[in-house]
Amino acid sequence: MSKPYTLQELLVIVVAKEIRDHENVILGVGLPTTAGALAKALYAPHATLMMESGIIDFEPLLPLNHIADAHSCRGFSYATDLFSAFTMTYRGFVDVCFLGVGQVDKYGNVNTTVIGDYYKPTMRLPGSGGAADFLSYAKRTVLTMLGGNFVNKLDYMTSPGYLDGRDSRDKSGLFPKNSGPSMLLTTKGVFRFDPVTKEMYFAQIHPRVRIEDVKKDVPWDLKIASDLSETPRPTDEEIEFIRNFAPAMSAGRELTLELTITNMMNKAKKL
Amino acid sequence: MAEANGKIMTAKEAVSKFVHNDDHLIIGNYTVGSCAELVYEVIRQKKKGFTLYSQSGIFDVEVLVGAGCVDRLITTYVIRAGGRKGGSAVERALNAGTLEMEDYTNFDYNARLVAGMHGLSFIQVLEGVMATDLFRKRSFMGEDKFRVIKCPYTGKNLLTVPAANPDVCIVHVQRADKDGNAQYWGALGSVAAAALASKRIIVSCEEIVEHDVIQSSPHLTIIPAYRVDAVIEIPWGAHPTEVLGHYNIDFFMYGLFMMADGTADGLKAWMDEWVYGCENRTAYIDRYIQRFGSSVLDGIKARAFYSAPANYGSAFTTRWDREGRERNMGLTMEELEKTLQERGKLYE
Repeated sequence: MSKPYTLQELLVIVVAKEIRDHENVILGVGLPTTAGALAKALYAPHATLMMESGIIDFEPLLPLNHIADAHSCRGFSYATDLFSAFTMTYRGFVDVCFLGVGQVDKYGNVNTTVIGDYYKPTMRLPGSGGAADFLSYAKRTVLTMLGGNFVNKLDYMTSPGYLDGRDSRDKSGLFPKNSGPSMLLTTKGVFRFDPVTKEMYFAQIHPRVRIEDVKKDVPWDLKIASDLSETPRPTDEEIEFIRNFAPAMSAGRELTLELTITNMMNKAKKL
Repeated sequence: MAEANGKIMTAKEAVSKFVHNDDHLIIGNYTVGSCAELVYEVIRQKKKGFTLYSQSGIFDVEVLVGAGCVDRLITTYVIRAGGRKGGSAVERALNAGTLEMEDYTNFDYNARLVAGMHGLSFIQVLEGVMATDLFRKRSFMGEDKFRVIKCPYTGKNLLTVPAANPDVCIVHVQRADKDGNAQYWGALGSVAAAALASKRIIVSCEEIVEHDVIQSSPHLTIIPAYRVDAVIEIPWGAHPTEVLGHYNIDFFMYGLFMMADGTADGLKAWMDEWVYGCENRTAYIDRYIQRFGSSVLDGIKARAFYSAPANYGSAFTTRWDREGRERNMGLTMEELEKTLQERGKLYE
């Protein structure tokens, strides 16, 4: 039996395994950058890690502050600009990208812009950033949803998944053939997309999660894979890499914030 | 354009001279190394009515919106303090009806500047956005947010955006010379396009260097002197964001800001202390050290990792060889002039 792990560590590993060797990878901030570092260290040593700010082929030494952070590596191979990072994606040079999700519908369309009315928002979310163009043109996109929701209708469609399902994405003529979201990761498991209907189904369940817990998050009648698998237990090597590289990722956002604020307050008192 | 050698000034002078009410103002930096001190000076001078452009709005957009300087915002990304329970100045202003906002993707926004910097009136962008609400939902730009045209060559529908030429760009870089040659390295983002698309450019930098430093590393220059109106040396000018080769992000100060930004009162109190309460960056850093000591700032200073020098050398730098003979004709100046005389090429 390998050593005990945290849920966040499990999630990082699932994402990292979506990166294949020799692929060109666009990383978003947070979980994907740690996953990218893990993949590069253990599964995909020849992957080229890239960020939309124009930092291309970097080897992170610690977690990134954001997608324009060159402080987390000692140099990198190619300094280009944001414009070229996207035209490169448009031309088909990006194999896989990773995007966070606020709301998602059954066809993998994504909202990261607003909850409620666009003009008078209940909650204004970050917006597109690079998301809409990456989900349009990367060959595959891995969606990660850690705090968001499944909905029947998005409050705002920021990034295009499989639109209305079936062949509607291909038929629109706007996207490369066979592009689109390849999976959605949540804290409960992994969802994939039916090759014909393009409807999301539940493909892989994390340890200690029950199917009922998954279904109650989803407002439509969620289909479950007949060969539903369980997410494998992390190995010691994987756990050790993540915990050393990104201890805050292992601890998770809430605990990290709590410990950080406590530490900051103590420091401030001493000053 | 400022007169020759008249570009070095204070942030106060530069903002007073080159940033006007109702301007289209652009923050040139993208996520990293934001021109914090220039932003604060704009706020302190109570400039109003901006249409603000920002590639990716972080604390810089929040404080400008929170201070009431911005009527219209064009961006691709905004931040939110405190997660779902929290809030942001942008969200509060949208709900109060004091701010209109136009959402683009990173590429669309950057493409508008690329069109602007090259003098094009519009530019093609990536058509996938036509399937999304970015295309459908429009604010103050209305029909002109995006237009679809037919490609004259392929007959395909193309998505386009109009060029952007903001009135004034404020931007922070690592170094510049006194004439304004501005050098920046790291995440290039859209920094050059933001500056070069703009009509006026205010550059702040961590250090002003001699011109020969620029001459030996022109690949690092992103804005040429002839486009720059003002140069201000402001060490720590991007704090609490990071500047590659100088300092990392200050999580401590950024944390204080994020804790404050969730409410209007919180943001105002933070700005009273750190924006309005400091007349310039020296006062800001002095206050910081007075309040928190110098250990945080010392701890985030970069350790050097130098770029390998690029060799800009050449075999010779004059047409005359070591013996004073022209390299191809083999003549000394005296012999050449004699020949010119003999051949009737010289006139009195």
